[in-house]
Amino acid sequence: MSQTQQQDETKDEALGFFDKPNNVKWILWVFYALCIVLVALDFVVHRHIYLDYEKIPTFYALYGFLACVLLVVAAKWLRLLIMRDEQYYDKNEEEKPFENEGSN
Amino acid sequence: MIEQQLSILLVVLPLLAAPIIAVINRSSIAWAMTLSVTVCCLIMSVWMLSGVVDGSVIHYELGGWAPPWGIEYRIDTLNGLVALIVCGIAAATALYAKRSVEQEIPKHQIPMFYCAFLLCFLGLLGICLTGDIFNLFVFLEVSSLSSYALIAMGRNRKALTASFHYLVLGTLGATFFLIGVGLAYGATGTLNMADLSVRLPQAVDTHLVNTAFALIVVGVALKAAIYPLHLWLPNAYSFAPSVVSIFLSATATKVAIYVLIRCLFHVYSVEYVTNTLLPQLLIVMGGVAVLYGSMRAIGQTGMRKMLAYSSVAQIGYMIMGIGFLTEAGLTASLIHLFNHALMKAALFMAAGLFIYRANTATFENIKGLGREMPWTFAAMVIAALSLIGVPGTVGFVSKWQLLQAALEENHWPMVVIILVGSLLAIIYVWKLIEVLYFQPREKMRVTGVASGSENIGRSPISMAVTLWILALSCIYFGINTELSMDTAKSAVEILFAADGGQR
Amino acid sequence: MWIANLPPFIPFFIGALLLPFLPNKARYFTLLIPILGGLNLFFGAQDGNWHVIKLLEFDVQIMRVDKLSLMFGYLFHIAAFIAITYSLHVKDKLQQTAGLLYAGSALGAVFCGDLIGLFIFWELLALTSVWLIWARRTEKANKAGVRYLIFQVLSGVLLLAGTLVHYQTTGSLAFDFIGLESVASWLIFIALGTKCAFPFLHSWLTDGYPEATPTGAVFLSAFTTKVAVFALARTFPGTELLVYIGAAMTCFPIFYAVIENDLRKVLAYSLINQLGFMVCGIGIGTALALNGAVAHAFNDVIFKGLLFMTMGAVLHRVGHVMGSDLGGLHKTMPKTTIFCIVGAASISAFPLFSGFVSKSMVMAAMIEAGHEYLWLMLLFASAGVFHHAGIKIPFFAFFAHDSGLRPKEAPTNMLFAMFFASALCIFIGTYPDLMYSLLPWENTYQPYDITHTLTQLQLLFFSALAFVWLNKMGLYPPELRSVNIDMEYLYRKMLPEIGRSTRKATSAFGTSGRLMFTKMVSYAPRMSKTSSYSTAQTAKRMAAILAIMLLLGYVTKMI
Repeated sequence: MSQTQQQDETKDEALGFFDKPNNVKWILWVFYALCIVLVALDFVVHRHIYLDYEKIPTFYALYGFLACVLLVVAAKWLRLLIMRDEQYYDKNEEEKPFENEGSN
Repeated sequence: MIEQQLSILLVVLPLLAAPIIAVINRSSIAWAMTLSVTVCCLIMSVWMLSGVVDGSVIHYELGGWAPPWGIEYRIDTLNGLVALIVCGIAAATALYAKRSVEQEIPKHQIPMFYCAFLLCFLGLLGICLTGDIFNLFVFLEVSSLSSYALIAMGRNRKALTASFHYLVLGTLGATFFLIGVGLAYGATGTLNMADLSVRLPQAVDTHLVNTAFALIVVGVALKAAIYPLHLWLPNAYSFAPSVVSIFLSATATKVAIYVLIRCLFHVYSVEYVTNTLLPQLLIVMGGVAVLYGSMRAIGQTGMRKMLAYSSVAQIGYMIMGIGFLTEAGLTASLIHLFNHALMKAALFMAAGLFIYRANTATFENIKGLGREMPWTFAAMVIAALSLIGVPGTVGFVSKWQLLQAALEENHWPMVVIILVGSLLAIIYVWKLIEVLYFQPREKMRVTGVASGSENIGRSPISMAVTLWILALSCIYFGINTELSMDTAKSAVEILFAADGGQR
Repeated sequence: MWIANLPPFIPFFIGALLLPFLPNKARYFTLLIPILGGLNLFFGAQDGNWHVIKLLEFDVQIMRVDKLSLMFGYLFHIAAFIAITYSLHVKDKLQQTAGLLYAGSALGAVFCGDLIGLFIFWELLALTSVWLIWARRTEKANKAGVRYLIFQVLSGVLLLAGTLVHYQTTGSLAFDFIGLESVASWLIFIALGTKCAFPFLHSWLTDGYPEATPTGAVFLSAFTTKVAVFALARTFPGTELLVYIGAAMTCFPIFYAVIENDLRKVLAYSLINQLGFMVCGIGIGTALALNGAVAHAFNDVIFKGLLFMTMGAVLHRVGHVMGSDLGGLHKTMPKTTIFCIVGAASISAFPLFSGFVSKSMVMAAMIEAGHEYLWLMLLFASAGVFHHAGIKIPFFAFFAHDSGLRPKEAPTNMLFAMFFASALCIFIGTYPDLMYSLLPWENTYQPYDITHTLTQLQLLFFSALAFVWLNKMGLYPPELRSVNIDMEYLYRKMLPEIGRSTRKATSAFGTSGRLMFTKMVSYAPRMSKTSSYSTAQTAKRMAAILAIMLLLGYVTKMI
């Protein structure tokens, strides 16, 4: 396969399903709709309640959303603390043997 | 009884063969005779051990002179076991020796080499079998003198200095021992060990007895390369010809430890030793030896020197077991004596094969050699795992016993040291494996081999087979512990029996 | 036809022993080992203790069959089958042999009846698995393998020490409930905890697994940690401490997973997170909780294996799994993409997928036991696991921005293995009763009711919504080429640094000291060269020891 052909192919492919912004938009709209339906269901369906927290309307949805936002924000802060460059551990690893005594 | 005759035959056979070899002066015949003598001795020692394993004792009076005037050969389970180790390793070494010796020893010296080898073998066997302490000294000198000659035959010129140091120190050790024996004779008027053990407690002059004890222990400790007195060992083992380092590493120090056990528990009694502070000293020295030997082994740059330092550490385990002064401790020591002979011989054989191929065993020059010699490498790994104490190998059996003995006495620091020692062993064994298998192959630098020599191409079958026999026995005796365990237990029972083994 | 009560590790070991001597094609026959072995276990095993062998003075039971060991036995056969299928294309006998031995050791550990046997297989697990890392044959993998091995062997040494002390104090070697009471039990607890990747002891996992070969990681993810879970379920069920440890294990790795770039390392962190659920279940100790832990282990092996397989396929085709440099792979690897999504759905416990039916058991047991705050932590972890394993992995590897990579689809055998695992995930998720019937403890549990399904969907969808929102706002942390420091900092950076600086300090001190010493020595008469030094030294030492011994002898006589 020649170079140009390969490039052509990638160009053709570039119009794959997920590359069209409209398709992605559609998927997201369906997703939003499902989220709304799930929240709506929470008021229709009677849930079993075991704990006090669960009495809060749409507790699980709120918890899921907040948990993830919190997680990501915390992780971003964590990055400041623990992120190092990729060769971090490999530096300073060459060393001479400690003792060199006799041969054989 | 035929077993009685066997005991003397074991010594006489090599004693006769050695001068014959020297007279005939043909290398192939020399090897054939050595092999047949050692194999005969192996068979006889197995026979003999099977006769005494139940706790009976064989007496043989040399020249018909009854002890304590004449020299007596007295075999119980303990020396039966050690004699078996010596004979077994000697036979394996003899099988291995042919090609290795051909390559490493100048042709005209080969018959003399085998002659010295047999004399050394004879000396070590004699030490095991005799029941007379002065006779023991004589055999000690026979084995030492011949081993100086053997070590000096190493190709590296450092072998000469190594041998010379060993000679000076060995002579010092032997002298200490001899003075000790002399003092003991002065105190009791006898040289027969069984007789000594009866008369020493009754001796009037306790100072003489104590001094003799100290001198004997220090003299033997040097021969056994116990920690602060180990300095001769690394050089002697690493510069000797491969065959010699295999044989000596697996037997010489073991026999010296046997002498130590014999003197502590038989000639002197357990009660006597308990009242000195020697056991504590032995435990401490053993512990330090384990740590020191292992640390030094990690720092080495040559395979044989690493193994030699690891020997110092392993001797530490044995000394520790003796120092506990319990049946369990001594059993552990004896089992380790047997097991360590197997694994160290196998490891030195592997080193010998590398030397055969690459003409050296420094890490720099054997990089990646394991990939070219997978069979040798595999056998070496088995023996090395055994050195660490991986379950299923002999090393595990002895470490387990030793740990139990230490726990029984609540020697917690020693438990920790044994475990730390195993971890350190992992490090140096890993270093070896890493060099042999993981480091990229460099162009082999061959020195001192005629061009077109076929040695470089492949390892001789005889050497590889012997190595594998020992490696497999490392596994066999790790799973089937009947032989080592039962014999060791029976030997210890005799030593700890109320009569101190007088029979 | 079937061999009754054959210890299941034997076929694996025999296969591994024969394999190196057979031609390369023989590796296809290794597939028969888990199939026939599994069938033999199903038809031939009866409850009870079989086959006692004598080792030293101990009787080692190598075939102890009960419902718990059978459950793990089946699981490991399935896992071995998947992993062997997945690695059929590999022409490296080292890996095939190590894989067989490793699977066999895990089976041996699960079926052994006492602590000695457990120790032996425990060490074998360590010694055989490390080759799967070394088989990568890179400098980095070599070093990581050594670190991995040191941890594993240390765990074995602790187990041995614990076993010894336990034996000395109680005289029992039974591999049954021990409970945290004595020093011995703590030693055993820490030994098991090391293999189970307890917090602070976990770094071998996140350090070692990402360095394994593509196929090796699939083997690794299945066995070591699950054997540890099994052993904990045997020896420490109902230990309160485990609940807290487990909860911590579910939570801390997800922070790391969010910012980690190496996608296999993300999976390693999420493996710890899933282990946390199992450890919680064991800690609660009720029948429901223990069943939940075992069922979750069962499912986790399959879906975590599936995820490691998809990432392995990417690694196999692309050569790396750095999230920062992947994306858009769905175009040329559509099947792998689908399998990855199935795995992601399973691990995040979507209804109809396998994670749903087992994770909920642990959660329900948590409420029953009254640990409300810990339950909230687990819920947080459930949302988090969806976030990093369920969305991040498929999204950054197969979608996201187009990296321009156009690798080929994974090899057929890999696809088959992934298909099989995916089918199992969906089958267990839709028809959980079969798996429930295998569970060791008596309990009935119904995963599918309207409350549970709805709440789980809400949780997951709004976690996803958070992801979408954060991405739209540009708040989501980008994938960066980086290393995040974890516990391994202690031994990869801190200790070497300390060593270096002390050595520097001592060598500076030592040089001046040595100079002074040499100066002093030069005034003294010499014993010729260095060579005779050792002789003189030894002679001096002999004299010193002799003097000490005589002195001691004199002193003892005086006393």
